[in-house]
Amino acid sequence: MSHIAITARRFLHDRRTTVGGVVFGVLALAGIFAEVLAAPAPLLVVGGGQTEILPAITRPVAPPAGLDKPYGDAFVVWPLVRSSPTAESVEGPFAPSSAAHPLGTDEKGRDLFARVVYGARNALGISVVAIFLSTVFGVLLGGLSGIRGGVSRTILVRLVEAVDSFPAIIVVALVWAIERQPTSLSLILAVAFVRWAEIARLVHAESMRATAEDYALAARALGASRTRIFTQHVLPNALGPVTVSSVFGVASVVLLNATLAFLNMGTASDSVSWGELLAQGARRPEALRLLLLPSVLLFATVGASYLLADALRDAMDPRAAKVSKRDVGPSPHAAQ
Amino acid sequence: MLRHALRWLLWILPTLIVVSIAAFLFLSYVPDPTDDPAQQFEPAERERIRREKFLDLPRFFNFTPLDVRARTKAAIIAVLDDDPATSDLGRRELVRLGGAALPHVLPQLDALSPEPRTKVTIALAPIGDRMGFAAEKLNDPNRAVAFWTRFWNDRDIEFRRASARSAVRRLSRYGSASRAAEMREFDTFVLEDVLAALEEPRDAGSFERTRALIEIAAHVTGRDDRINPSDDYATALKCVERWRGYWLVYENDFVTVDGLSRFAAIVLDTRYGKWAMSAFTQRFGPGPDGTPVLDGVIRRAPVTFTLVYGAIGVAYLLAFLLGFLGAASNQPRRDALVTFVLLALYAVPTAIFATFASRLGVQTGFLLPIVVLALGLLASPTRQVRAALASAFAQEHVLSSIARGASRSRALFVHALPTALLPFFTLATLEAPMALGGAFVVEQVFGLDGLGRATIDAVHSRDTSWLMAVSILTAATAAFGVIFTDLAHIMLDRRLIPGVLQERRKG
Repeated sequence: MSHIAITARRFLHDRRTTVGGVVFGVLALAGIFAEVLAAPAPLLVVGGGQTEILPAITRPVAPPAGLDKPYGDAFVVWPLVRSSPTAESVEGPFAPSSAAHPLGTDEKGRDLFARVVYGARNALGISVVAIFLSTVFGVLLGGLSGIRGGVSRTILVRLVEAVDSFPAIIVVALVWAIERQPTSLSLILAVAFVRWAEIARLVHAESMRATAEDYALAARALGASRTRIFTQHVLPNALGPVTVSSVFGVASVVLLNATLAFLNMGTASDSVSWGELLAQGARRPEALRLLLLPSVLLFATVGASYLLADALRDAMDPRAAKVSKRDVGPSPHAAQ
Repeated sequence: MLRHALRWLLWILPTLIVVSIAAFLFLSYVPDPTDDPAQQFEPAERERIRREKFLDLPRFFNFTPLDVRARTKAAIIAVLDDDPATSDLGRRELVRLGGAALPHVLPQLDALSPEPRTKVTIALAPIGDRMGFAAEKLNDPNRAVAFWTRFWNDRDIEFRRASARSAVRRLSRYGSASRAAEMREFDTFVLEDVLAALEEPRDAGSFERTRALIEIAAHVTGRDDRINPSDDYATALKCVERWRGYWLVYENDFVTVDGLSRFAAIVLDTRYGKWAMSAFTQRFGPGPDGTPVLDGVIRRAPVTFTLVYGAIGVAYLLAFLLGFLGAASNQPRRDALVTFVLLALYAVPTAIFATFASRLGVQTGFLLPIVVLALGLLASPTRQVRAALASAFAQEHVLSSIARGASRSRALFVHALPTALLPFFTLATLEAPMALGGAFVVEQVFGLDGLGRATIDAVHSRDTSWLMAVSILTAATAAFGVIFTDLAHIMLDRRLIPGVLQERRKG
């Protein structure tokens, strides 16, 4: 059984993986299929001489509100909640839950359910993309410093130290200051800029360790190039800690994102985010719902990715081998 | 060890300079406030705002610094332009440059043909009026050329730095109306020495001297910012600082840059150079509320630092106890509960604890905010201590000390703890940047006047000087954190001394 298969098996048999995976999966699905859960336009319109699928996505302008049957007698499949996360509803602010608005409305009269669902898309989308970018960037730069020695390594190590000790919130503040209209992309780039250093440090440490190992020296003696040694011998070892750190990173970026939105900095002002709901809840003591709902969701997201990362770390840890005997195969005693 | 610490302290300064350059380069892309389509500026107003934010200068190197000589040349060319609008602008520029431009205009008059010569001398008329020659009727073309030619024949010996300087000295020493009139005849040529002679008003004498000097500066520049005789010393000092800020922006309009100063201007007459000068001489320049940025930072930083380091202290103390208990006892059920609670504390944003805690309505000073902030920091150090202590008990030197008869507690405290604590300290110093975001939230919710509120405001108003100051402060804190970590390592394990020193030497 290969190392990866053992790790995968240990990871998949972990109870934390199940819990974390289910919670994270549900939230991710909600974010991906947000239009199915809440949108002002129907999912499917058949009849009246036309067939339309998901006009909410394909046609940016929604049909005029207040119309009882905007689609006539056509066969229409509506999403779960017929509201947009940004449009103000007729019920007004702080409406209690009703059939139209299962969770009520927020302080600007926008549907809370829709905002929560689209907030999931925002939170998970930004963190996953940012983490992905930072991981790619960190592996590349960390690998570069591992392959090339000398001055470039020194510079990179200093750079990593500097970026690592610089608070993310200040970096985001600087990025926000130079932009007239902050976008999600700039937030992603700022977060990626903060996070890459950790990945680069891991890869760098692994390459420092591995290049002194016998197998790397042997490869060197056989005439392998530094690049080949890195990609064939160093990188596979480094990927374990990098993956764990990235999954932990998702949790911390989700939290950072919520903090930034709470402080009203870092995201576009009209973007839908849990942190913004939190800020509303903090301003209005009477609307406890606005405070509790995003907290529960943040707790679920962060907790789930934490559990996943934790399980992954244990699965990859070779020192935990004695636990794994049970998982890997029947023990020698069982054969007797 | 002392040597090591000193070496690191020496390294901090270049580090901070590099950080300031990087942050400055980044912040130099802050959008030009005058390009905001929402606000319409008059061209002159726009020019002034750009100038006062140094946006007309290059970022780091200026190989063609504009001094009074170059500006005068450009102004004369503009005056002689056929387009009346350009000519008018040139005249106004020439008047603004004033007496400092005369050494570059009057000697050239003879080289001009009669018509342009008249045009230029007429343009000089307002300067002559300002210098106290209103009676000469300099608007009259017939008299103007003759007057200015005569003026330069008589006075060119006086338009030297040394005589301007001694005139200022005489005014400061004896102070009378006639001395002031004498200085007015220099017009802006004397501005450099007047503003250099400004002192902080501390007593009646220095107050009066400063007032007289500022009176002259205000007269020659037409900038109505004077000290009233009834003002108190603090107001007067504010006025002096405003004039110094003015001089930082407009110095090169009145000073010839040549020789060594030309080399210096390559670096200093740039955006970064101006910022660095204001950082050194003016406490990082004026902040949004008028007081210098540095004063604002010094007033607010203790709040934030108390929060961050207080929370780290509380969290790590608690984490140590929890981790210690976890490693010492072996109860899986309780362990799982502790793990779950810690995970919950980590995963619930600080904002929520802070909001609920602030609604309790109890006045506890800093205690409650610190505890709230500490809650979110507990998880990773607890885990760290637990794992480190658990593995420390499996190490051979600990086991062998137990085998030799040491008690369990002695084995723990003397042999296991020091090595287990090393990563714990490293983690503690790395925690500060992470805790800063939470500290901003706590400040906001509890209404504390720390760096957070001011930084968010600075982001919204794009206040570059504040953001620069905060970046540098952060970098300095981080650098001290690194020194502290190294020192802690050395103190816990003396075997690390050569390693730490050598590593730094390599780096």
